[in-house]
Formats: sequence, structure tokens, C-alpha cells
Amino acid sequence: MRTLTRRLISWTLVLLGAAVATGCASDAELDTFAPQGPIARELHSRGVLPVFWIAAVVFVGITIAMVWLIWKNRVKTYDGDDEWPAQTHGHVPLEIGWTVGFLVTMIAVAGIMLWSLPTVDATEDNTMAVTIDDHSVMWEPTIVVVGNQWWWEFRYYFSDQMDLADMRAHGDAKTLPPADIVTSGQMVIPTGEEVELIITSRDVIHSFWIPALNGKRDAVPNRFSPWKIEASDPGFYFGQCTEFCGLSHSRMRMQAVALSPADFQAWVDSTSADAVEPTDPEALAGLEVFSGICTSCHLIEGVNDDVYEGADQASGAAPNLTHFASRSTFAGGILNTYNADGSLNRTDLEAWLRDPNALKENYTVPGEQYRGMPDLDLSEQQIDDLVAYLSGLGAKPAGWIIEATQVE
Amino acid sequence: MAITEKTPLELGPGDSVRYAERPLGVFTRPQGGRGWRDWLSTVDHKRIGILYGVSAMFFFLVGGVEALLIRLQLAAPEGSVLSADVYNQVYTMHGVTMVFLFIMPLAAAFSNYFIPLQIGARDVAFPRLNALSFWIWLSGAIFLNTSWMVGGGGADCGWFCYSTNSGVAFSPSHGVDFYAIGLQILGIASLVSSVNLIVTCLNMRAPGMTLMRMPVLTWMLLITQFLLLFALPVITVALFLLMFDRLFDAQFFNPDAGADPLLWQHLFWIFGHPEVYIIILPAFGVVSEVIPTFSRKPLFGYEFMVFSGIAIGFMGWGVWAHHMFVSGIGPISVAAFSLSTMFIAVPTGVKVLNWLATMWGGKLRFTVAMKFAVATVAMFTIGGLSGVTHSVAPADTQQTDTYYIVAHFHYVIFGGGVLGLFAGIYFWWPKIWGHFLNERLGNWSFWIMLVGFNLTFGPMHILGLQGMSRRIDTYARGYGFEFWNMAATVGSLLIAVSVVLFIWNVVKSKRDAPHLPPPGPDPWDGRTLEWSIPSPVPVHNFDTVPQVHGRDEWWHTKYAENDEGKVVRVATVEEVAQTGEATGVHLPSPSFWPLAVAVGLPLIGYGLIFNLWLALIGALLTIASLYSWALEPVDDPDAAHDHHEEDHEDDENEDDQTGGHDS
Repeated sequence: MRTLTRRLISWTLVLLGAAVATGCASDAELDTFAPQGPIARELHSRGVLPVFWIAAVVFVGITIAMVWLIWKNRVKTYDGDDEWPAQTHGHVPLEIGWTVGFLVTMIAVAGIMLWSLPTVDATEDNTMAVTIDDHSVMWEPTIVVVGNQWWWEFRYYFSDQMDLADMRAHGDAKTLPPADIVTSGQMVIPTGEEVELIITSRDVIHSFWIPALNGKRDAVPNRFSPWKIEASDPGFYFGQCTEFCGLSHSRMRMQAVALSPADFQAWVDSTSADAVEPTDPEALAGLEVFSGICTSCHLIEGVNDDVYEGADQASGAAPNLTHFASRSTFAGGILNTYNADGSLNRTDLEAWLRDPNALKENYTVPGEQYRGMPDLDLSEQQIDDLVAYLSGLGAKPAGWIIEATQVE
Repeated sequence: MAITEKTPLELGPGDSVRYAERPLGVFTRPQGGRGWRDWLSTVDHKRIGILYGVSAMFFFLVGGVEALLIRLQLAAPEGSVLSADVYNQVYTMHGVTMVFLFIMPLAAAFSNYFIPLQIGARDVAFPRLNALSFWIWLSGAIFLNTSWMVGGGGADCGWFCYSTNSGVAFSPSHGVDFYAIGLQILGIASLVSSVNLIVTCLNMRAPGMTLMRMPVLTWMLLITQFLLLFALPVITVALFLLMFDRLFDAQFFNPDAGADPLLWQHLFWIFGHPEVYIIILPAFGVVSEVIPTFSRKPLFGYEFMVFSGIAIGFMGWGVWAHHMFVSGIGPISVAAFSLSTMFIAVPTGVKVLNWLATMWGGKLRFTVAMKFAVATVAMFTIGGLSGVTHSVAPADTQQTDTYYIVAHFHYVIFGGGVLGLFAGIYFWWPKIWGHFLNERLGNWSFWIMLVGFNLTFGPMHILGLQGMSRRIDTYARGYGFEFWNMAATVGSLLIAVSVVLFIWNVVKSKRDAPHLPPPGPDPWDGRTLEWSIPSPVPVHNFDTVPQVHGRDEWWHTKYAENDEGKVVRVATVEEVAQTGEATGVHLPSPSFWPLAVAVGLPLIGYGLIFNLWLALIGALLTIASLYSWALEPVDDPDAAHDHHEEDHEDDENEDDQTGGHDS
């Protein structure tokens, strides 16, 4: 029995060693221990690491004490009445001692908390110049983040800038004021700027989280909560909704794309424009399909923005598709718009239009409010036309973004 | 008062007619016996404890199967064992089942069985209410699980069931209705039981058993009952609001009508955090009995252990919003709740060191019970420390709602709570059943469970820090989640093997029992009063109610310390243990009415969901049963004694001693 136990333990250790080696080698895009922006880095070094070290020291201390106690004091059986050790009932100074010891430790932990709290709560008054509709404005980088089942919307206000107080005064997440840019799934941010987020939701509670750039903040219906992120380098950062939000919670993902200020301006220029009418006949046919079917939920500026009154979904919203092709993912951040070689990912796009429910479970019971995209019963011809139309909406993102998007 | 009929008694020579007042027909109380029917009418706290324990173990298997389904689904990326819809139901019901239908009733089994024994009482204060608690709990548990069959699936909103996702628009099946009503029914059970046990602890202690002489298990269970008493009304209010939102179009949680969804979170966690201590404190109590016994030392720092338990009980009310650090409650609230959370670690840490100090210089005999108890301390320490790491609110913004939290609370609830209660099961098994559990099988079961537990939940720390969100039914390749998820699934299968071994142990040890020497009243050289009476415990518990002179009363009956401080035996167990042969002890009479009251409640539940007429029938049944209960005579003149041959005079005397006030 004893040798067997020992063998079990040694095998477990070997396995664990192997596991640590392989587990850490993988490319973990959501890894909270690999912060990549200044806020996340400071949070990690001020908040996470110190308390992990304290916990580790206490853990090692208690474990050593316990193993030593077990080793030293274990007996096989009690032979008789002589076997009784000294009967200590307690030792008040000692006990007060370790009560105070724990108290001091926790005061240290409290210090860590108070020291790192401003990292996530304090905000800068930074501004950057952005040109919008041929006007230059000083923009305090702010993005309104709206959770919906099961995708994220990002709203940019350049002309009429909205801060947290304005949004709270407005109060209703379902009727937000018109924005210069409305996009979804991928949030584009300028590098080197602290970007304030105003987070809310239109249906249930979600949670916005790009681990490489900062911790998370819940999106609560009709509440507007402040948060912030910052990236120092251009890059592509993954996120996942982290508050359970119903059926397809696991397939509600998002990414942040950090662009240099110049590239950001270029993105603003192309993305703030209305959709251009296609010339290709197949895409034109696609526009017709879109206008007949998709417009009951989706909005494309330049197509149905003057008649659009919200979607049939419980959230009252569906992704704005004006610049669909400028985003490297779709369907709530779960599918690649492009293949790694830069060509259109026709397979997934067609599959999504054919049967969205197969790729992401949606709740579309006739007569009840939809949640997610319903099966539209499109013909193959309609699907081809729509793909032709959608793939022409907006400027294709840079090659490095498409490459970074690809998750196996 | 009872409705009575008069029956003529025998006439003695020269007497006029004498009438005895006897209860009428249905109000005659059933008499105790040994058949299965007597389990339905029993008011014996030991039988009720066993009923709780056996049902809890059944739901442990149900919750365990749900856990295995979760692990199979997550074993590999893009798992397809369950659909997203079914997965959400399964993980919700796993949480609800394990908390409300396994750990709480298993702790209730310990409370029911051992509080009276440890304080030297013959039963709880209100025996019929005790039966009512169990039957209501069971009817609520069955009701909750019938949603799989008749409700269109289980609840799919998580055990925390956050608004607004719990609304009809977002969860249209009846699962959440079953959750809201089922938990209200379960809440009645716990509330009734908590009042009963508090009164028992405060009023029914044997002479000399002052509060500061109560065994630590009883102390921890008493604190647990107070937590239940104050926490359950809060969740009941929340569930009541949710029920009205869903069934009668109220607007308590509708943001479009001006409601704030955070209201639910506050109500839920004001209940939900004390609930954590409701789960863990009974296990702390068990560990505080097992470690001293197998260290051959008294518990180190009894007063510190009791008061740290009380401190945890109090402070547990001031930390609820640490579940809401990222919900947007504002930096001041976050800082305040972060601080209060940290300081609850102090009494908890004191407990851990006091257990270690109990082992210090002791003679540690590693029976299976002791192994489970020490493992509880070790695993709980890990869970407690990972808790400290995310008590730092800013750091928690990276960790909350990831698998790091799943790892943390499983180390607390499984590593602390479940392992601790398993220690108790192995420890008190001979007391309850009159035979030991097989130590060899128990050993295998222990080691496989310990390895399986760590293999399941240890990797979840890494997964969480790698960014794996909670409550996701699947994950994509390429995030580095593959290996550790597979490891966790293998671990969960090991836990399943260990549970199967435990069940086999129960069967085998029962089968082997006749060929083995019986454990006798005091197999482990115990310290507290339950070891001074025969195993299994006679129906009346104590032949004579013990006079208590100090802590560890039973140990001091057997041993004393001589002038040099050495322990010397002053009496053998045979000399001082009670024989259980007393007769004529007055005991509370059994009753069917608690069961009848309980049966009405799920009918009300189904009625509220499907057809109000059914609710009316259920309500009538419950109310009629309550009235019948009230009309039932307190004592049946013919029954209510475990042995009948004694004359009447003796009964009168015994009446005074039992204090078994009928409810």
C-alpha cells in the first residue's frame, strides 16, 4: 500500500511537470499574466503579483508546517494508555500572536488594494486631434460599449462628444443618440491614448473584458459604467464576454484593434462614410436581398438609415453592417471574415447565412422576441448575392490584422 | 387541544362510570415501530438525520452526474456532448443541487443527529417541526428536479440567476419558475429547522453543559443556524419578487420600467455570501472534533475556535458585494467591501493555525476520518489563500468570472466542506450504524478523491489565469485551454471512481458487519457525550441525562491528569458507558401531519406555474394538515414510550427530564 501510494504520487508529479511545460508553451491570447497595455501592466505588477507572492509565502509556510507535523507526530496505533501526549489546551499569547500576524498580513494586502485601485479607477484628461467630416476636433478618447445578446456594439462620438454624465442623463441604452461611427465585434482604438469606455447593455448583463489591456467591467442594462483601456503598441487583442448572458454566452467574443494615430485617422475617415452603392450586378442583387429581408433588423447607412426603427430582437438592435468587410471577424467575434491568405472566408460567411443556429445557438421562436440571428431560409442564389454585397462593404483591414485574427 | 371521544373504562367495584378522553380517529397519533411506514411518521431526530443524510447523498450523485456532463463537454474544444441550451441548464442545476440539495442537507443531517447527542438531550426542541423541515426539504428537492420532466428543462440562469437574464423574455422555459418556487420551498425547510435547532441548543442542554462547554461541532452548527435564520428571508424576498415578475407580470427587475438589475445581485449575495459560511462552518466543526480525537489532545484554543467561528458568522454579513466588484457599484463601495473581505481572512487563518497547533506534539493516528480532516485543512487553506488573492478588488477585475474563481470556490466548498463532511461520515458511521466503514476501501476512496479533486480543480486556477471564462459551454482552439481542461475531466472521473468506492464501502461494510467485532460505544476513544452511549444509539439516546462538569465531558469521565501532568485512565468505557437499557423513557409521539403539510407545498408550486386550481388544492391540503396537526393531541396516552411495561409514575418523572416539548 505504501509503495503504491508513493508510486502514485511520483507519477502525479511527473505528469504535472509535463503538463506545466506544455500548458505554458501554448499561445494563450487571453492570458491575464501577459499584460500588454500600460494599465494592464500596472494592474498586474501593483495588484496581482504582490498579493500572489504573499499568498504563496503563507501557503508554503502552512504546508511545510503541516507536512512536518504529520511526519513527526504520526503513529500507527495507540498501544495503551501511556501513549498520551501533554494535554495543551491552548496558549493565549501565541494565539493572540498569530491573530495579530494575520491582521498585519491582511493590512499589507489592504495596502496593495488601495495602492492599485487608482490604476483601474483614475482617468486622465487626454485628448487627441481627430478629423471628422472635414472638421478637426479635439477628441477625448471615449467609446460607448453596448452589450447585446450575443455581440458587442461600439459607438464613437466625435462631433457631439458624450461623456459619462451625458450618457447617464440620457439613461436609456436602447435609444442612444446617433454616433459618427457604429461598429460591432471589433473595437478600434488609437495607440498611446487612454481610451475611456462607457459600458452599458440593451438586454441582459454582459461583461466587457480584453485581458491584455485591462480587467473587466459588467455591462448592466440602462446603467452606464466607466472603464478604460490602453494599448501602447499596434496590435490585436482578444476578449470574451465574462458575465453569463444566456444561451450563446460562450460565443460572445470581441477584439480590440490598436492602430497608430495615423492609421486610426484613416480608419475614421473610411468608416464614418456611408456605404457605397455597388456596381457589380451580383452585389446589386445582394443589395436587393438585403433591402427586402435583412433591413428588418440590420442597418446600413446609406441604405435604410432614414427608415430604420430598431430590430426585432429583444435588445432592439442588430449589428450595424455599413462597414461589414472592414472587420476581420463577424457573428459576435467568433468567425473570421478573411482567410489567413487574405481571401474572403466565403465558407463561414455562407454557412452563417444558411443556418446561423448551427454555428451559434440563437433563440428564434416565432411569435416571441428573437435573440440572435434567425434562420432566414435563404436560397443559395440569395446567399451568393448577399456574400457579394457584404464583402464589398468597407475597406479590407490590413494584412497583419487578418493574420492576427486567425485562431485555429 | 384535541377533538376527543369518550370511552368508558373498566368499572371497579363500587365505582361510577369513568371516562377517558381519547383523540378521535384520524387524530390518534401513530405509534413508533420499525417498519418503513414509521419512517414517514418519525419524529426521532436520529431517523430524521438519517433521512437527510441518505437523501443528500442521493442528490450528491445527481449533482455529480451533472458535473461529469459539464466536464465531458469541456474536455476538448468545441465540445458537442451537450447543446449550449442543455449545458446552461446542467451547470445551473449542478450548482443548485450541490448547494441546496447536497451540502446543506448533509450538514442538516449532522445537525439533527449530533446536536442533541452532543448536548445530552433526548431529542430536538420541536420534534414534529423537525420532521416538517425534512419533508418540506424533500418535497422542494423533488419539485425542483421535476422541472427536467414537466418544466421544459432545468433553470438555465446559473445558480445566481442574475436579473435580467432570469426574466421571461430571456428565459422563456419554466426552469426559472421551478428555481424561484423550489428554492422558496427549500428555504421554508431550512428556516423551520434553524429555529428548531437554535431553541434546542439554547434550551435543552444537559445540566452543567454551559455554552462554553458545548462541543465545537455543536457551536459551529449553532452559528450556522443563526446564519440560516437571517440569510434565508433575504433570498426568499428576492425569489418572491422574481416569481411575481415571471408569473404575474410584475416589474421589479425590468430596466425598461425603471428597475435596477443590481437589486437582485444585492439581495442574492446578502444571502449568498453567508451561505458560503453555512456550507463551510459545519465542516469546520467536524474537523474540530476529528483532529483532537486522533491527535489525543484537546482542541487547541477552544475559546479562539468558538469566537473565530462567531466572528466569521458576523463578518460574513459585511462582504457580499465582493461578488460584484466589476458590476459598476463605484470605487468607494468596492474599496469598502474589499477591505471587509480581507479581514474575514483573519479568524479563518486563526482556525487553520489552531488546528495545526492541535496536531503539534500530538499522537496522530491516520484513520480515514483523520485523513479527510487533515486534507480538509490543507485544501481549505488553498481555497482561502486564492480567495485572498482576489479580495484585492483591482486584481479581481482580471480574475472574477473566470475559472480561477471556479477553482477557488471548489477548493473552499469541496475541499473544505465536502471533504470535512466525509471526515464526519467516516468518524460517526459506527455511532450511527453500529459498524465501521471498511478502512482499507476508505483509504483507497480517500486517496483517489484527493488526487482526483486536485487534478480537477487545481488546473482550473491556471485556466482562469489564462483567461478562460466561467459558464461557457465551449471554447475555441488556440487559447491554450486544451490540456488543462482534459486534465480536469480526467480528475473528475477519478472523483467519480472514489464516490463509487465509497458506495461499495457502505454496502460491503454492512455485509461484513456480522463477522466483525462491534465497535462498542466508544470506538475512537472519543471526547464528547455521543460516545458515552451505545452504538447504534438507542431510541431514547441517554438512559439518564448526563451531568456535565466541563468540556470534553466523556473524555474526563475516562481519564484524568495526575500530579505530573500525565494522563491516567480512571475508568474503562465498559464501566462508565451507558447501556441503553433504560425503559419507560417518555418520547415524543410520531405524526403523519408534517408529511401531509409538506406534500401540499409542491402542489402550490405546480399550481402557480400551470393552473391556479391546483395551487388551491395544495393550499387546502397544507392548511387542513396544519389544523389537524394543531388538533392532534400532544401525547398519545397509549404510545410515546419506547418500552411499555413501566408503570405510570415513572413516566411522570421522565417527562420532566426529557424536556421534549412537543411543537
